[in-house]
Amino acid sequence: MRIFTGLASLAIALASLPGAADAQTAGQRINVRGEIIDTWCYFSGVMGGPDAVVGSAHHTCAIWCSAGGIPVGLLAEDGTVYMVLRIEGSDESAGGGTQMRLASHVIEVDGMHYERDGLNYLIVSDVVVDDDIQVFSHDDFGVVPGFAVPEDAR
Amino acid sequence: MRPLLFALLSLAFGATAGAQDFSVNSEARSWNLAFETPARFEARVVDILCELTGDCAENCGDGRRQLGLLRSVDDVLVFPNKNAQPAFTGAVAELLPYCGALVEVDGLMIEDEYVGAFNIYLVQRIRGLDEVEWTTANRWTRDWAEANPDAAGDGPWFRRDPRVLQEIGTDGYFGLGLERDAAIIGALFP
Repeated sequence: MRIFTGLASLAIALASLPGAADAQTAGQRINVRGEIIDTWCYFSGVMGGPDAVVGSAHHTCAIWCSAGGIPVGLLAEDGTVYMVLRIEGSDESAGGGTQMRLASHVIEVDGMHYERDGLNYLIVSDVVVDDDIQVFSHDDFGVVPGFAVPEDAR
Repeated sequence: MRPLLFALLSLAFGATAGAQDFSVNSEARSWNLAFETPARFEARVVDILCELTGDCAENCGDGRRQLGLLRSVDDVLVFPNKNAQPAFTGAVAELLPYCGALVEVDGLMIEDEYVGAFNIYLVQRIRGLDEVEWTTANRWTRDWAEANPDAAGDGPWFRRDPRVLQEIGTDGYFGLGLERDAAIIGALFP
């Protein structure tokens, strides 16, 4: 009986670990300010370090990735990345026009925040402020990637 | 008693599957990324918005929404950010034919605590559990070409995409307006 009790306790404890939770998680209201970024370049480092793949230097690449259906995120001022699944009335998180027009913009939003398996997710109910591009990273990094500005535009 | 014990042990070992080595039997090609790991696993294709919030759409949103991989062995929600094409293209088009279905995927997992990357995935090939042949995850550009016949021409899609061209034509390559754009380009490429 003691063995059974121990196993049951172990199972319950392990079942409470992240990843074993119910499919739907409770969201929390949030107001957060940050830049709309291209998450693949930011997470993977494929174009360089995190400072090189935000703001004006990386704006064209951010548009390409957004149009190409790569998920966009909101990089908050504390460094947290929120994966954006909906912006106001639009659920077009894969290649949608709303998110593309906000590429590289610093915005303040109200919405719902969810966490699951190490990632943060954001359902934007209102874009409260849109301050356009505020990170002038071209001063330090030029253009990222270098071919974003084509030869015939130079 | 014995079935109950078995169930408890299964739950215990299932919950610890996060330590599993998903690189076993992977044939994923390296992208030479600092924090990539080959990862091959079984999962169910889900609409992430639906999975998290209960806000569901028919056929996983028909390509509008980001799709996830709910890994079978540990119920972890993996987020495929990227398909197999080095062309600024996401993974939704590759996963959508399998909406709600169990699949096996092979690709690269990205885990980098410094930037908050957990369970981020690049899918290189996919097959339904009832399929023998793998499908390479490279259909995005074909779908784009079919949807944009007027944009046919030389060069990669992102140089010809009407929406991209409109954005750049309005605010420039740096997004700061055309006048400032010209000045930056002049300074960077004298």
